[in-house]
Amino acid sequence: MHDKQFMRETLLQGAQAFQAGKMGRRSFLALCGMAGFASTSVLAGRAEAAASEIVMWNWGGQSEECHQSAIGVPFTKATGVPLKFDTSGPLQGKIKDMVDSGHVTADVCDADLFDAVALGKTGHLEPIDYSVVDKTKTVDGYALEFGISIILYGYAFMYDTQAYPNGAPTGWADFFDTAKFPGTRSLYKWANGSLEAALMADGVEKDKLYPLDIDRAIKKISAIKADSIYWGSGSEAHDMIVNGEVSMGMVWQNRGRSIETDTNGRFKLVMNQALAMPGAYIVPKGNPGGAAAQTFIATAQSVQSQLDLFTCLGMTPTNPEAIAKMAEGDQPYSITSAANMPLIALNDPTWWGENTDAAVNAFLAAIS
Amino acid sequence: MTGPGGSLHLRSLCKRYGSYPAVDSVDLQIERGEFLTLLGPSGSGKTTLLMMIAGFQDITSGDILLDGTSIANTPAEKRNFGMVFQGYALFPHMTVKDNIAYPLSVRKRPKAEIAARVAEMLDLVRLTPFAKRFPKELSGGQQQRVALARALCFAPPVLLLDEPLGALDKKLRIEVQAQLKDIHQRVGTTFVYVTHDQEEALSMSDRIVIMQNGRIEQVGTPSDLYQQPKTAFAASFLGKSNFLRRDGAVFALRPEKIDLAPAGAGQGANKVSGAVQSVTYFGAVLKYQVAVPGMDPIEVDVDAWRGGAALPEGARVDLTWSETAAVRLTDQTL
Amino acid sequence: MRLPIQSGWLLVLPFLLLVGGLFLGPILNILWLSVTDPTPGLGNYAQLVTSDTLGRILWTTIRVCVICTVFSVLFGYSIAYAMVHAAGPTQSRMLSLLLVSFWISVLVRTFSWLMLLGRNGVVNSGLEALGIISQPIPFMRNELGVLIGMIHYMVPYAVLPILASMQSIDGRVVQASRSLGATGAQTLWRVYLPLTRAGVVAASLLVFIINLGFYVIPAVLGGGKVLMVAEYISVQVLVTLQWGTAAMLAALLLFGVLTLLFIMSRFMKLSTVFGGART
Ligand SMILES: Nc1ncnc2c1ncn2[C@@H]1O[C@H](COP(=O)(O)OP(=O)(O)OP(=O)(O)O)[C@@H](O)[C@H]1O
Ligand SMILES: [Mg+2]
Repeated sequence: MHDKQFMRETLLQGAQAFQAGKMGRRSFLALCGMAGFASTSVLAGRAEAAASEIVMWNWGGQSEECHQSAIGVPFTKATGVPLKFDTSGPLQGKIKDMVDSGHVTADVCDADLFDAVALGKTGHLEPIDYSVVDKTKTVDGYALEFGISIILYGYAFMYDTQAYPNGAPTGWADFFDTAKFPGTRSLYKWANGSLEAALMADGVEKDKLYPLDIDRAIKKISAIKADSIYWGSGSEAHDMIVNGEVSMGMVWQNRGRSIETDTNGRFKLVMNQALAMPGAYIVPKGNPGGAAAQTFIATAQSVQSQLDLFTCLGMTPTNPEAIAKMAEGDQPYSITSAANMPLIALNDPTWWGENTDAAVNAFLAAIS
Repeated sequence: MTGPGGSLHLRSLCKRYGSYPAVDSVDLQIERGEFLTLLGPSGSGKTTLLMMIAGFQDITSGDILLDGTSIANTPAEKRNFGMVFQGYALFPHMTVKDNIAYPLSVRKRPKAEIAARVAEMLDLVRLTPFAKRFPKELSGGQQQRVALARALCFAPPVLLLDEPLGALDKKLRIEVQAQLKDIHQRVGTTFVYVTHDQEEALSMSDRIVIMQNGRIEQVGTPSDLYQQPKTAFAASFLGKSNFLRRDGAVFALRPEKIDLAPAGAGQGANKVSGAVQSVTYFGAVLKYQVAVPGMDPIEVDVDAWRGGAALPEGARVDLTWSETAAVRLTDQTL
Repeated sequence: MRLPIQSGWLLVLPFLLLVGGLFLGPILNILWLSVTDPTPGLGNYAQLVTSDTLGRILWTTIRVCVICTVFSVLFGYSIAYAMVHAAGPTQSRMLSLLLVSFWISVLVRTFSWLMLLGRNGVVNSGLEALGIISQPIPFMRNELGVLIGMIHYMVPYAVLPILASMQSIDGRVVQASRSLGATGAQTLWRVYLPLTRAGVVAASLLVFIINLGFYVIPAVLGGGKVLMVAEYISVQVLVTLQWGTAAMLAALLLFGVLTLLFIMSRFMKLSTVFGGART
């Protein structure tokens, strides 16, 4: 499996070198012969895959089924192109590596909008074709050159109602106040959301967060370090709360609802000062499916697909039309619903796209 | 140079593996300073018996007394018996010197005393030039001597040796036998020696214990056992014997105690006649195989220098022996 | 005429080249990255001196790995000792249990530890119910948790080389030591340990080197506060895209391990450590 991939990569590099005139025809053919590949098939390799499928690169699990049913089914119905998945998780580093290696196997990545900023700048992404994708079907400011937000998730916190019977915490200021609300806290360990939460707790207005004052945020976070633990995945965050390891824990807001229902309301989600995060679709440079990726993104913007994704994954739609059509009971859990909008902060993908390294490393330095 | 040897008394000693008796009711008195050999075929229980004396093997029943005191419940390391193992069991990570010093250094003796004693032992086994070598850098015979020096270094009252020469070739073995015997006489320790080599047993021992199936078959000095075997097993295991049936009893008759003469020349009360079946030349002796009607073929050894030319096959001969040469055995049948 | 190279080598030459390419290629690539990304020079290595964070992460890594190695080998030694002295059927049962434990995934282990020793885990709730403690003992989500998880994971790795070296000991050597008057402790210390030294060294190296690459257990059981090099490298590669820093740390680990092997080789033949011919 691995060495086959290695061979193909070598050949593709050879093919590129051959086409660029850097490698003699003879040595390229020899290379192909050695590997048992026909030279034509290597050169044509890319075109061959083009129309046959669209590969979505995401995190697998439930999200694979949900994307298939909510977007894949209507997309395939309309275009005849099937949707496949690579569930290894499209982290920035992996996308960069894939594009740099010249062997791109994914068409659409289920990523963050700040990834679009960081990787767009370095030339690792295809631009979004706004003649196919609709700029108006997303939140203002979340349609960028190299990526568009399709759904929103967010950072909020939950607390244990039994830990605080006389007066519940209502915002990040309470979360960071371990004197008034004793107990252990959990925060996301790659800085995202945690920095914003700390600044809001320190009194920064929710619409004046950016550019983030990293030092100020770190100071606030360090102050409760002794009472904090940090999670790296949604399930870990979930376990920390329901296993009673923490009395207040940051979570991905879309998971809050199921924790509330699963525990019969023992743990409550606080939407006040939640941070909305634009989840985005981005297209790696030189994707095998070509323009079909743009059609796929457009499909994902449809009202039905957006509502289905919410039902399936709890991710908030970005298409305003879809939000308007949501059931009454779903509104409180939709981070940008009319009722929540005045409470929440919106993430600035541009700041994060440009400052991730500084922010993450400062955060790691503080918590480790 | 060492303390006096100890005396051992084994009382109805038994060792069973499940229901299988590896050692079966052994009663034995081993005298102070004696060289006692346990001799028997493979599987006869020699090692098991020795290991029980050493304390490495539990006793199923019976008792072991050292100078009159029971040591059945004393752990091996407290018995203070020297032991030379089959294969020597030298410490591969220690030099010859450290191997020999080991029993003294674990007893936390002063350094000077240890050095002096080790030098003495190295001298005894003539290995002084090899003191700094590791066991794997020594020949088999040298390793054997290290094992011996190590086991004697702390002046044990009893030294147990389990086939210590088994791994040596015949010539070296005979050389080391002499050295061992010499060392035994010089140190005065009681030696309990296991072997299945009958010549070794005969040449070295004060007394020999012949074992079979976990039991003692016969105990005695080498000449006792050779001259007066009590059972067919003893008679055939130690040396060779012809067996004769007379008056409802079984007799053992050593081949060298028979006189062979051409037919008609034999004189005496005990006489049979037969024909030479085969003759083999062994340098010192001629071994005749003589067919006698109504009996098993009889083996006769004749000193080669005495008889002149060998009699041919088929020659008629008379066999005679003195009254005392045939030993009556306890066995009723063969 | 003698060939300068034995002709046998020609047969394996293609494979040597392949192996060389597959191993050396990536390693050279890493070394190259570490001195070229983001700018050519030794800037990445300079961080080792200038960055407190890197120093702390390296120190945490070494501290955790050393402690884990010591305990894993200690437990491994005891288990191996029990195994060689167990009767045949018990021994093979113990060995199967040991091998089965290799199959339990890291994730299952970490979550089992949380269930068992977490704040509201079986042990803490039990002790609280019995009135022995009033506050839960913080076993998990800290360095202790990381150590427990890592040691548990590594003990079987420690057992195998030690077991092999113990099995090769001639039982009569131990009996000889006892017959010469050594107590159990003396026999263990002066005969048994020296004879199993190669196994202990092999186990220590194996455990230490595997430990250096640990990622999941520190990340989960450390509650985010025990940051070790492997996880830090992965963050720099995947999240912050500082591949130069990551490559520098990877190169550092590589040279650390090689240095360790070199120092070891000064003291004993590596072939004996890794089960080569005993001479
Ligand atoms: N651990 C054991 N379990 C079961 N039977 C055993 C065990 N050890 C020895 N025996 C049996 O006890 C009997 C005596 O064994 P022992 O080793 O004492 O013989 P030996 O006279 O020393 O033989 P050799 O000359 O071959 O060394 C043998 O039949 C052997 O199979
Ligand atoms: Mg034996």
